[in-house]
Amino acid sequence: MENAKENLDETPFQTAGPFLHIGCMPNAIKINRIYQNDLGEIPFMNKKDADLITIEGSVFDGNGVALDDVMIETWQCDEKGQFTEENGFARLMPNHLTKKFTLKTVKPGSYIGYDGKTHSPYVSLSISSRGLNMTLNTRVYFEDDELKNDPLLSIIDEVNKKNLIAKKIKKNSYLFDIFLQGDKETIFLDI
Amino acid sequence: MNVKSLVRRNYAKHPRIDFPDYKSSTFRAPKNKKISFSSSNTEILGPIFNKNIIGKLDNDLTLNFSRNKVSPLGHKIIVYGTVSDQFSNPIKGALIEIWQANAAGKYLHDNDENPAPIDPNFAGCGRCLTSSSGYYEFLTIQPGPYPYLNRGIEWRPMHIHFSIFGKSFGQRLITQMYFEGDPLIKICPMVNSIGNKKAKNSLIGVLDTSRSNTQNLLAYKFDIVLRGIKQTYFENRKEGL
Ligand SMILES: [Fe+3]
Repeated sequence: MENAKENLDETPFQTAGPFLHIGCMPNAIKINRIYQNDLGEIPFMNKKDADLITIEGSVFDGNGVALDDVMIETWQCDEKGQFTEENGFARLMPNHLTKKFTLKTVKPGSYIGYDGKTHSPYVSLSISSRGLNMTLNTRVYFEDDELKNDPLLSIIDEVNKKNLIAKKIKKNSYLFDIFLQGDKETIFLDI
Repeated sequence: MNVKSLVRRNYAKHPRIDFPDYKSSTFRAPKNKKISFSSSNTEILGPIFNKNIIGKLDNDLTLNFSRNKVSPLGHKIIVYGTVSDQFSNPIKGALIEIWQANAAGKYLHDNDENPAPIDPNFAGCGRCLTSSSGYYEFLTIQPGPYPYLNRGIEWRPMHIHFSIFGKSFGQRLITQMYFEGDPLIKICPMVNSIGNKKAKNSLIGVLDTSRSNTQNLLAYKFDIVLRGIKQTYFENRKEGL
């Protein structure tokens, strides 16, 4: 049984433009007099540094330039596979000098979804910026996890699958680059 | 078993990602088709934001950056409306964040190259949570139009940027509100990246004359619709099927 058909259209997207930081992360661009903290500065308030992993990477445009004006948002469950309302959300902007973003977070656990299937650990990630008429969505999986039966990865071919999987560079530390265009274009999702 | 899923997005009523008239999209818009899959827990659940993050002046852009209560330049406006889902259910506790240029069309941002003046009493940043009936309201000033480099110099219509979180990550929306009667709307490539006329018009805030005439400011109404979440019940089926 399904409920009634929707009667309204979703409001259309428009680009977030080059100045989205004013509204979404003002403290990060030195507008410090309005909000005490930017939203999503720390994804898990209840965890110690020692329990966290780092995911680092850059967002490249079609010319291979690493961008520093994008906003990245991440959303995930905790290490036990639990989604909670108040933890798991982060906002990031690449560093102006290194052009890298750094997410310090809990390594998510796997979970059994509404569909009854076991989902491998992943972090959901979105990108908003100038030049993007709609926010892009993708996922970060981890190369040292069991990924064979994940419901999303199993519908993607081997070559493209690779660019959704973060490489382990050292203990608790992963690399995940995002390519908006080109040979290595990242898989984006119609969520 | 009770399976939740988001209403599929109708891309015909959204902007085209790859739209050559908007130059910045040339090297940023992905070329490949997106992968569709059924909604899982991440798309359906949170984040949800708590009332205690919102300060008293967060939705009053005329005061939240002013020094000694000096008003920013420009005329004051109220922008209000409701947030609902595609089934017309109001969404309570939706987080709305806005950003905009000042009256002269200048953003308080290092990357803004427009040679217009900044306003020391205006940052153009605000946020609020919707009430139990999905209602929101901002007090701000009329943003100016501004020139930018596209296919040469072009002008953006007056607009306010909106970012909205509903109840689920899959409802996340970033958009812009325009102002009724602005002649720049119809020649804006960002507006025209939306092919559907009705969808385009839904981004135009409507002047509320009755409210404007009873208060010392102009009022604009802008209603927002986020994706609906469907619940499908399967009877007599085992989990996982
Ligand atoms: Fe703008």
